[in-house]
Amino acid sequence: MTTALAPARPGAVARRATLVPLAAREMRRFVLNPLFLFAVVMAEWITWTGGGGTATEIDEVNGYPAVFLGGFGMMAAFWLTRSMRASEPVAGVTPTSRPARTAALCWVAIVPFCCGVLTLFGFLHAYPAGDAVYGPFSPSARIAVLVGQIVVPSLGGPLLGVALGRWVRFPGAAFVLFLVIFGWVELVTIVTLWHQDSWPATVLRLFSPFAFFTVQADSGGVTAWRGSPWFFIGWQLALCAIAVLAALLRGAEGQVRTRIVRALGIAGLAALILLVLAATGGFTHAVTA
Amino acid sequence: MPTASISLRDVGRTFGATRALSGVNLDLKPGVTGLLGPNGAGKTTLLRLLATALPPSQGKVNVLGLDPEVPAERTGIRRQLGYQPQEVGFPRGFTAFAFVDYIALLKEWTEPTARHAEVRRVLGLVGLSDLGTKRIRAMSGGQRRRVALAQALLGSPPVLILDEPTTGVDPEQRVTLRTVLAEIARTSVVVLSTHQTEDVAALCERVIVLDRGEVRYDGPVTDLTGQAAGRVWLADQPDPAAKVSWRTGTGRYRNVGTRVRDDVEHVEPSLEDAYLLLRGGSPEPETAGEVAS
Repeated sequence: MTTALAPARPGAVARRATLVPLAAREMRRFVLNPLFLFAVVMAEWITWTGGGGTATEIDEVNGYPAVFLGGFGMMAAFWLTRSMRASEPVAGVTPTSRPARTAALCWVAIVPFCCGVLTLFGFLHAYPAGDAVYGPFSPSARIAVLVGQIVVPSLGGPLLGVALGRWVRFPGAAFVLFLVIFGWVELVTIVTLWHQDSWPATVLRLFSPFAFFTVQADSGGVTAWRGSPWFFIGWQLALCAIAVLAALLRGAEGQVRTRIVRALGIAGLAALILLVLAATGGFTHAVTA
Repeated sequence: MPTASISLRDVGRTFGATRALSGVNLDLKPGVTGLLGPNGAGKTTLLRLLATALPPSQGKVNVLGLDPEVPAERTGIRRQLGYQPQEVGFPRGFTAFAFVDYIALLKEWTEPTARHAEVRRVLGLVGLSDLGTKRIRAMSGGQRRRVALAQALLGSPPVLILDEPTTGVDPEQRVTLRTVLAEIARTSVVVLSTHQTEDVAALCERVIVLDRGEVRYDGPVTDLTGQAAGRVWLADQPDPAAKVSWRTGTGRYRNVGTRVRDDVEHVEPSLEDAYLLLRGGSPEPETAGEVAS
């Protein structure tokens, strides 16, 4: 054993220099999370095989990537965020502030986002964009539906997990939120089935980080519900921004806190506007093709 | 290298209606300063204030010429600070090396080669070179405390705040740690809170005794010990004139009293004797077993 002392630590470096290796470290921990690995395998397997290739409309398959990459990704990110909580007495007095550590955690969402993009390609491989399972949507709207149902939830779920991990102490909070969102989506989908042309029902359906856009028609075709998938993506991205800002707010102080609160207000307003546009845009009534 | 220093002026800290610290004035220079006091005396609160983990409710704290209440200056302090809290939790699945490496990254050691070398160095200092790849959850309590100490030693910081670093550590390691801390204290301010008076006697040139949030004594260890001269004696029975008596391993009773006695068999007082006298001869309930056994 030696008692020799090291030379003084290298000169203080900018916070940005810490962010990149820290984000890489957190990404490595996230990728090795068994829950996330399971989620990726399941999402890819289901989409690349097209859910058995028997789907009559896209929403029979699209919920699975959202559940696995978004829902399970949220739980994995929540665990990752909480994992260092016990070490906060030590980590909290390092020069890397909590918002900086939160930012590193938020970068982790790139991994499930990339998995979501891969899943999107898998889905298009199983069900090309010209397929009848998409119903009456235009070719570009079909891609928008897929992005909103597969890619953005893969990004948003983990971001929500980070925000939850920063603010909520209850260890099962992410699982409870997953059940709440799942239950809400099921509930508002049932409401929409009863009131397909209702604007309030459309708002309720889209007031969620995930929403279905199609249903199999009794005639055998595919019915597309009201709403704009493009503005729905905007609404989802606004929710992602809110999740990031809410996570960063924890531990922020001074001017940084003021800026985050202001940005939260702007993101909230943008989300509200995009939700209204999503509910009023697109088809103005249910269309079957 | 500028001389490291810490100053506290009329510092107080309350938690709701509870007053944890009151009117604390201290100037700390390089060297090891021991912090003694019963449980609830305010030792941990004082250390958390010094470590910028807690702001004071009143008064001013200045660390290395920087004000911890100013966010940018607080970051400046944290760049030059090592802190071992009383309780540290470790993330599941982390090895000792991975944990210290993670903290090193948070301390802005961004260059991997230098960081890994530093992590290996501090693990060596605390005697964990061979256990770097062992999961912390599988380690003993003493080994975990050494992991916590290792992260505090990263970069040989000018300010080192240690809250009961030797609790649960075996005697051999304690002696080694004393050597390490004595070496660091040549240029760094080391503040050490402990219930082990022998650690303070062996390591510290200065001791601060806190009681109910106030400084009861602040001065050289030898002066405090000297206050007990002539007040500690051995007898075959517990002496009613003594404030504290306990049976020693030889079967005789060690008596500590407030009055200087001439008619008894005096023994060399220890820091513990002096501390007990300062506390009014009433050992704290939590440590009574250790003292009286």
